[in-house]
Amino acid sequence: MMLRLVRAPLLLVGVSVLVYAATEALPGDAADARTAGRATAAQLAELRTRTGLDAPAWQRYLDWVSRLLRGDAGVSLLSDRPVADLVGQRLPATATLAAAALAAAVPAMLALAWVAGAPSRTGRIAAAAVTAAAAVPQVVVTAGLTAVFAGMLAWLPPVSLLPPGGTPADPRALALPVLSLALPSATYGAALLRGVVADAAARPYVRDAHLRGLPRWRVAVLYVGPMLLAPSARVVAVVAGGLVASTAVVETLFGYAGLGELLTGAVANRDTPVVQAVAMLAAAVVLAGLFLADLLAAATDARSAPA
Amino acid sequence: MATPLRRRRAGVLTVLALLATVAGCGGTAAPATTSSGDTLRYVSIGSPATASNDPHGGLANESDALRFALTYDVLTGQGPDGRTQPRLAESWQPDPTLTRWRFTLRRSAVFSDGRPVRAADVLYSLRRIERKAAENYGRLAAFDLAASQVVDEHTVEVVSRQPFADVPRALESVTFVVPEGSDDFTTPVPGSGPFRLVSSDAQTAVLERHDRWWGPTPPLRRVEVRVVADPQARAQAVLSGQADAAASIAPTAAKQAEGRGDLTLVRRPAVTMYPFVMRTDRKPFTDPRVREAVKLAADRPVLVQAAFLGYGQVGDDVLAPVDPSAPTGLAPRQRDVARAKRLLAEAGYGNGLTVTLHTTTSYPGMDTAATLFARQLAEAGITARVKLNPPDTYFTKVWAKQDFYTGYFGGIPFFDVARVALLSTSPTNETAWRRPAFDTALNAALANPDEAARNRALGELQRQVRDEGGYVVWGTGDGLDLTRKGVQGLPTGPGFARLFIDQVRIGA
Repeated sequence: MMLRLVRAPLLLVGVSVLVYAATEALPGDAADARTAGRATAAQLAELRTRTGLDAPAWQRYLDWVSRLLRGDAGVSLLSDRPVADLVGQRLPATATLAAAALAAAVPAMLALAWVAGAPSRTGRIAAAAVTAAAAVPQVVVTAGLTAVFAGMLAWLPPVSLLPPGGTPADPRALALPVLSLALPSATYGAALLRGVVADAAARPYVRDAHLRGLPRWRVAVLYVGPMLLAPSARVVAVVAGGLVASTAVVETLFGYAGLGELLTGAVANRDTPVVQAVAMLAAAVVLAGLFLADLLAAATDARSAPA
Repeated sequence: MATPLRRRRAGVLTVLALLATVAGCGGTAAPATTSSGDTLRYVSIGSPATASNDPHGGLANESDALRFALTYDVLTGQGPDGRTQPRLAESWQPDPTLTRWRFTLRRSAVFSDGRPVRAADVLYSLRRIERKAAENYGRLAAFDLAASQVVDEHTVEVVSRQPFADVPRALESVTFVVPEGSDDFTTPVPGSGPFRLVSSDAQTAVLERHDRWWGPTPPLRRVEVRVVADPQARAQAVLSGQADAAASIAPTAAKQAEGRGDLTLVRRPAVTMYPFVMRTDRKPFTDPRVREAVKLAADRPVLVQAAFLGYGQVGDDVLAPVDPSAPTGLAPRQRDVARAKRLLAEAGYGNGLTVTLHTTTSYPGMDTAATLFARQLAEAGITARVKLNPPDTYFTKVWAKQDFYTGYFGGIPFFDVARVALLSTSPTNETAWRRPAFDTALNAALANPDEAARNRALGELQRQVRDEGGYVVWGTGDGLDLTRKGVQGLPTGPGFARLFIDQVRIGA
């Protein structure tokens, strides 16, 4: 237990170093982006001194960490605005979107995994379909859904603009982005879980329960279900991570003002403090999910046979 | 302004556009946020990463610039006829040397917090723009603002570094005036413009009419400026009825909107150009015959059709074709492959010439233009390898550095083009056009108080660059705005004129 408590923050530090190093490795810096090629060498040097970009990367990283520990996420290297403001403005929109997408994806994932894990012809066909669907890229899913629901059927708006002041008043505006995120997540998660379901269903005592004539729902809930709890929780955590990452694409396509859109722009402009802040938030969500999954696994360990 | 809009244009987005087109895009399912006649819901370009409250920076975010144009006063503006018109300055008067210009401010101008606008505020703002030169491309480099001074409460004297007859035009549109001493722009600072900011969040800035503005009462009571980075999504916002107007949509979306009776496509002529840029101080472009051959190889109408889907005009290598100084009576450039081959042979490249043509996807059609031009060059015996560069670093690593690449100009006046790219002292003299005689002639022309003579002299300089320089200006693209029918009065002028939407009205 102690180990898990220590592991999460360590992983978070690891992620922060990796993201920082990756942003550093990109050609150009925020001073280049801010002046877009028009500034003289002297002007660039002055701007780098003022924004602290002239210090070596390791020193800037340590500065960033020490500030963050004091609760200061720094200022944007592009606009000098506080990073906390930029992130805070957009956090509710993305949290709403990701939570709604996850709420739709998880039941769908479990249902699909259940069907695709069944040892029958239907199960095999479903398994193939789930695997194929999981391989479709996010952008294509989004384009397809938009074409059908906003184009041909005209049921849903093709863009999801927020009214002044925040979250969508009309839930229809969220429908397409939520679907676009939930569908690939559900199929991907189902593809991961399908094998576990198949294994569980093939256990001798499950078969035995069927043979004894227990109702199917009883077998599902009392015999198979508990075995799926821990792996499902882990898959949900992984899927949640992928889903949060996909918001970058989906938000841009639907003109939805969330963190994903901010991250895309911040990376393009080498705005390290903003990139770090958004990446840390996303990483914290995933790590918290994995931590919860571990707890759940530990709690159910006593009841389930080793998988 | 050559500000790269960081526009993501993955090939897959084309899939989205195609699917949406195929599907017919009925889109009647907009959330019910209908607008009444006095509110304009305007969708603008912007990246959340560069969003700023500072009107004196790079104005990289179009939506910010639009908000500044609504909330801040500028000294001079551009009239519907393209001529400079009074704005905060009601009149101006130069001294006989044309270096000291007195601008008289309107006495009735007040900031939205009630303070009067004084000459000191104007001078402070101009100096602040100069101080941020690194970020705003030296927008006021022609002026000596340390020597400029406040004459009285309502008069400011602006000093130019050279005798300069076009000072009011050089100060057009970007001289946003803030209260003296404002230096913290983490939150918006009050302005004295036609609108005032009432709220802003991640996506939307809400502006309401500033009732104490000195100018004609804006027909709109309220403007909601929404930022949408993706051009396809901007067009969709209007197509689906969620917005009344969308700025700068992609030509593909314009095609999609054509034939919809409930929509209007507003074309702003000649606001973008992607000239092919040759460095005249590096081989093989040192040889004027090679440069001419490259110009002759271009099939211009085909390029305009492919890159702008026809929303544009064929170019004649003139860098500022809609400027009052644009030369007239030139023989149009026709494609002449045979002559191009002859010139190349004379220059010693009879057996072929291989070059690398750089391009990027910063603006729609840039990559298409380069790919197509490479094919046209091949027919003239020039093998051009097209190198597609990432948009993130194009303007710092390729632009003004490589020998042969796809450039960008955004409809700026000829004297601005000359300042940034054609003077011996221009830091971004991308074609290495360094001719002391040209510099002298330009300064002489700018000092000429007679407008017609001045434009003739500038026109002659434009002609010189066209014939001898390193630019292949094969065409200009229109700015494309999409509106709901009934939205009237969107500006169609070049440059920053597009931002001044305070007199837009919504009819029946």
